[in-house]
Amino acid sequence: MKIKKLLALLLAMVMTMALVACGGNQNDPAPSNPDPAPSTEPAEDNKTPDPAPAEPAGASEITLWVYPVGGWGEEANVKALTDAFTAETGIAVKVDYLAYADGDDKVNAALSAGNAPDLILEGPERLVANWGANGHMVDLSDMLDDTDKSELIEAALTPCINAEGKMYEYPMCMTAHCMAINLDAFKAAGADQYIDLTTRTWTTENFFKAIDALYSHFGQTVAAVYCAGQGGDQGTRALVNNLYGGTYTNADHTAYTWDDPKNVQALTELRDAQGIDYDASLAGGDEIAKFYQGVLKMAFCWNSAQQINPNSAGTGEGKTVTGEEIVYMNFPTPDGSPAELCGGIWGFGIFDSKDQGRIDASKQFIKFMCDSAHTADAVSTSTFFAVRTAAEGTDLSAIFDSELLNEYAGLMLPNLGDYYNVIKGWAAQRTEWWNMLQKIGAGEDVNAAVSTHMAAANEAAK
Amino acid sequence: MAKQPQTKMSRALQRRENVAGYLFMLPSLIFFLGFVVVPMFICIGYSMTDATMHQKTATSFVFFDNFINLTKDQIFLKGLVNTFIIVIVSVPAVCAFSLWVSSAIYKLKGPVLSAFRCIFYLPVVTGSVAVTVVWKWMYDNYTGILNTALTTTGILEKGINWLGDEKTALWCIILILFTTSVGQPIVLYVSALGNVDQTLVEAAQVDGATDLQVFWKVKWAQMMPTTLYILVITTINSFQCFALIQLLTQGGPNHATDTVMYYIYWTAFKLTEQAGHFGYANAMGVVLAIFIGLLSALQFKLAKEK
Repeated sequence: MKIKKLLALLLAMVMTMALVACGGNQNDPAPSNPDPAPSTEPAEDNKTPDPAPAEPAGASEITLWVYPVGGWGEEANVKALTDAFTAETGIAVKVDYLAYADGDDKVNAALSAGNAPDLILEGPERLVANWGANGHMVDLSDMLDDTDKSELIEAALTPCINAEGKMYEYPMCMTAHCMAINLDAFKAAGADQYIDLTTRTWTTENFFKAIDALYSHFGQTVAAVYCAGQGGDQGTRALVNNLYGGTYTNADHTAYTWDDPKNVQALTELRDAQGIDYDASLAGGDEIAKFYQGVLKMAFCWNSAQQINPNSAGTGEGKTVTGEEIVYMNFPTPDGSPAELCGGIWGFGIFDSKDQGRIDASKQFIKFMCDSAHTADAVSTSTFFAVRTAAEGTDLSAIFDSELLNEYAGLMLPNLGDYYNVIKGWAAQRTEWWNMLQKIGAGEDVNAAVSTHMAAANEAAK
Repeated sequence: MAKQPQTKMSRALQRRENVAGYLFMLPSLIFFLGFVVVPMFICIGYSMTDATMHQKTATSFVFFDNFINLTKDQIFLKGLVNTFIIVIVSVPAVCAFSLWVSSAIYKLKGPVLSAFRCIFYLPVVTGSVAVTVVWKWMYDNYTGILNTALTTTGILEKGINWLGDEKTALWCIILILFTTSVGQPIVLYVSALGNVDQTLVEAAQVDGATDLQVFWKVKWAQMMPTTLYILVITTINSFQCFALIQLLTQGGPNHATDTVMYYIYWTAFKLTEQAGHFGYANAMGVVLAIFIGLLSALQFKLAKEK
């Protein structure tokens, strides 16, 4: 009996220990600073950083998770920025790098377990429409003053603020996603006559003529409506919407409208075109790789960061692996006017840890990266473009030496279309979109597939 | 009376041994309880709730609603069918192939036998991501070795989109699963065949048994515990096929490679906006566990009867 009692006691202890061990919380709030230092620093201080570390605003270390937003996905780049922040504020930053493939899973799991980081770098579709809408984010609207409002580009700021006026993302950089063509292949096939290289525009009619010419010349698939997953789906959405001028959501972003007959026409003609495949074995990243290898002659998943470093391969600006010239283009439109491009607006959000000290320190970090003399470095690291004209007196209109980026900014950024990604049910919609493309590619009736999946997306948007 | 101190002594010794035994088990026990038993009960509990990842309102009990909804969920049912196809095809194929290979190689000399063991075991010890990447290259629609070989030899006029076609995708997954599953059974069967009692084999041969009769009546009977282990492990692995699907097809095209395991992950971690998605995913987990348990019990029963 004694043995049994001893064993029972032992087992009880083991279970208690296991529960205690599993229930740990790395974000257990340290004692809150009753009188936190101001969350932002005076502009003058930002202009001439003091070499001696300042007193931390309330926490000596904060955690940051970053999605691979251009150069912010590379540790060496980010470390230089966080080191500068630590030197100036005395606050250490522990950075974790996420991938788009499973980043959401990690964040969602962390939120469930109560282990979310202090800061995260991503766009409004996650920070505002998802985690913000679900009450996980801190409202940052107190960080905006009138000067900020005048400096920030409205198209970039608006999606960061929800309908109730709560700001869940402080924007840092932006780009317009476009498509790209292999110019050497186009010339070889005589398809370069269908594009306007000066404005980087083309008509829908010329797009299909170019596809025909390329297919006749190469005798194989030259473009892919990739649909293996949600990665890079902004490309297929923009292609379909621009071909005949269809819409994706209504103007107030409350319902999906992709059953627009113009979209149905685009989806049907893309399926009927020889040379284009609905490819359920490729996602956006795979399509870029195939384009970079010279297999596909155009890519629908492209932007300035890809143009500078195609396929992130480090083999030269605007070149395929074999050295053929890559030209970025607008998506084709019926009259050849510039397309309405999907945008990327990236910035920082703060997860609500209920620890004012950590929140203040995180705001200090945001101020440092997004609105200080260091903003030019933070933005140029991303290889995307600033969302504001100036930051605390520093001009951000020409932060790049690169002729390519300046040209891209002039040709593509003005074509940024409606940022509809903030609609409710965004994550569910993405699944519906690529599943719909798979069905259409497999031969299902376009109208039926569109209706079924759009209805499911709208159900999630309620 | 004289025996009493001795009995007390032996009891004390026994007790000490027991305590030592349990203490040795303690580290494993902690993990078993913390990561298997407790989560199992949590899973069963959650399966009867409308829990979501972003809990805005209190979780409420929905009792068997999640299970009832599963019977109407076309994607889940498709996943269940796919899971059973994988199990039904993969398990017998793995067992039969590994038995055949083992029978052919177990009598080989040391170094040659080791070489074969290495060859078949290599996919098991190679990381699943690396294996998957290589297969992805081979299956590639545009530049894969399979399409290149089939088109250049004139067998096919146009390449097949192996992973992008509903008709082929699941079979491609099963083939990879097969190559990564045969290693361990082969090693186990080689060992089991080596341990077959030769006196029984010789006795059967002396009595005039044919090779086939010797195999089925003598060797096979002695290998039954190994076969049972292989059947159970392969069945469980096939039911839980996840990494291949996650890395290659994400359940597509058109849910052709969705399995219950993958749909659980998708519902729990991707469909975070769907009401009650956590509870629903847990309900799927319970159903999957029931199926695995039933099938394993059936295998045990059949093996015992045999």
